[in-house]
Amino acid sequence: MSALLIETHALSMRFGGILAVSELDFAVHAGELVGLIGPNGSGKTTTINMLTGHLVPVQGEIMVRGVRAHGQAASAYATMGVGRTFQITQLFGRMTVLENMLVPGLARPGSKKAGATRAARRHLEFLGLAALENLPAKNLSGGQQKLLELGRALMLEPAILFLDEPFAGVNPFLRDEIIVLVQKLHAEGRTFVIVDHDIEALQRLVHRMVVMARGRKIADGTVEDVRHDQEVLRAYAGF
Amino acid sequence: MRAVQIVLCAALGVLVLAFPGLVNAYWLSVAILAIFYAIVTASWALLVGYAGQFSFGHMAFVSLGAYTSGLLVKWFDIPIPLGMLAGVVLCAIVGSGVGFVGLRMRGPYLALFTVAFSEVLRIIFVSEVEITGGSGGLEVAPLFHTRSDAPYYYVGLVLLAGSLAAMVALVSSRWGLFFRAIRENEAAAAAAGVKVVRFRVLAFAIASSFAGLAGGFYGHFLGILTPDIGSVDQMGLVVAMAVIGGAESLPAAVIGALALEALVEALRSYGEWRLVVFGALLLLTIRFARNGLLALAWEQLARVVPVVPAPRKTA
Ligand SMILES: Nc1ncnc2c1ncn2[C@@H]1O[C@H](COP(=O)(O)OP(=O)(O)OP(=O)(O)O)[C@@H](O)[C@H]1O
Ligand SMILES: [Mg+2]
Repeated sequence: MSALLIETHALSMRFGGILAVSELDFAVHAGELVGLIGPNGSGKTTTINMLTGHLVPVQGEIMVRGVRAHGQAASAYATMGVGRTFQITQLFGRMTVLENMLVPGLARPGSKKAGATRAARRHLEFLGLAALENLPAKNLSGGQQKLLELGRALMLEPAILFLDEPFAGVNPFLRDEIIVLVQKLHAEGRTFVIVDHDIEALQRLVHRMVVMARGRKIADGTVEDVRHDQEVLRAYAGF
Repeated sequence: MRAVQIVLCAALGVLVLAFPGLVNAYWLSVAILAIFYAIVTASWALLVGYAGQFSFGHMAFVSLGAYTSGLLVKWFDIPIPLGMLAGVVLCAIVGSGVGFVGLRMRGPYLALFTVAFSEVLRIIFVSEVEITGGSGGLEVAPLFHTRSDAPYYYVGLVLLAGSLAAMVALVSSRWGLFFRAIRENEAAAAAAGVKVVRFRVLAFAIASSFAGLAGGFYGHFLGILTPDIGSVDQMGLVVAMAVIGGAESLPAAVIGALALEALVEALRSYGEWRLVVFGALLLLTIRFARNGLLALAWEQLARVVPVVPAPRKTA
């Protein structure tokens, strides 16, 4: 088996009285393409937030490439090669598309302006945003903003990428485009964990599916396994 | 076209340099105060316009820098530039502290916190009569013993030019990019690998040290310091200067400060009414020209007069 990128032990998060994530054990190896699904409020976003340093779990362990990462700042996770997008797109609205890309490019230790700019242009080209580089990010369409957010995460040269609902609010054409982009990036060796409610799109994309319900992991296996899992069916039907 | 621009700039330069010879002592002192406000306003614009850390305590650092230098020179008879430097360093340290404590706050909460800090400091300066002379004021050694204030004008000009150049270099660097990223979206900046804590604290430290520098200059120019310099009224004036000029552009903030200080003096005979005018001007600017009147005026000017270059769309 290839290297372990991220591993959690008994990870829990609580908001006041709500146990949003409970005792989660989860591991992702290099080269995997994992789908993370579950009903609304099942704790998917909270899980991503903990695995990218945006939330500090109340309990449990997070290991990034074998190093204990618990309690580190989100920026440290980014530097360790953990990239993410947000469920609600988060861009630097009044900065240009190119500047949005340069922020992670120049935040990398030892980076140079020329190199970062070249990398940014390469990624923008790949995402079909090259012509927009001087536009303020807030002027982009919703779909373009999603692509830019993905591009910004790619600027980290991440070992693993968490995408929170990349297909939400996206037309079928762009949805297919995003699937192809992710497939290409995966073929280049990037590892993905993708949260979405679009099971059909995920089935086309991922090799492994993890299912959460009420903060717990209730299934973890191939798409086939999960599809016939009684508990999964119950969780979705009962919702 | 280019030649016209060069001629215009040269003429402006000559005018600025010859200014002390062209005006009376009163207007010269107004110009020196305007330069002081310009440094303060530009550094506030750096903190608020670029880094997005809304502070209402900037004048507290002006007074901290001024009192530090004034007292050190008085007690230990050190050279004034050294006293001013000590003020700058202390402001950087205290500024980091304020930035650090304010980390969990943003927007109005951060503003309120900085107001509280500012008032606490002012009240300390008022109460510690033994040390600061309280409201009666502290006598501060003058930087020059000349009859004319012209040397202050030129020193102020150098300080302003140096500060502005340093701040412009800063905002054009990767640090400036990170400041703006944090202003736009802190979570996204962190996800992009920006050390948010470090840069928020840095923004406070840097902006506060420029305020301290301006404060030191102010004290050694006036020769007397009162805690009023750190008052909320003064802060309001600086906010008006930055917002009316344009808080997201350092040169615009400087011009806003110079213009407003000139206006404050020119309208002095109208008493308190002029403040109403400024209040109205401020409201109109916020409502109709978020980037300040200067950017707006510049755009119109660039449209009408072909020698004026169109403003660059950044911030
Ligand atoms: N910052 C927060 N403060 C309080 N409660 C929160 C917070 N974030 C999440 N929660 C709660 O935690 C639970 C899990 O939320 P989470 O956003 O992780 O769900 P999700 O699986 O991503 O759902 P969706 O598919 O709707 O995005 C929910 O009950 C939610 O209300
Ligand atoms: Mg979610």
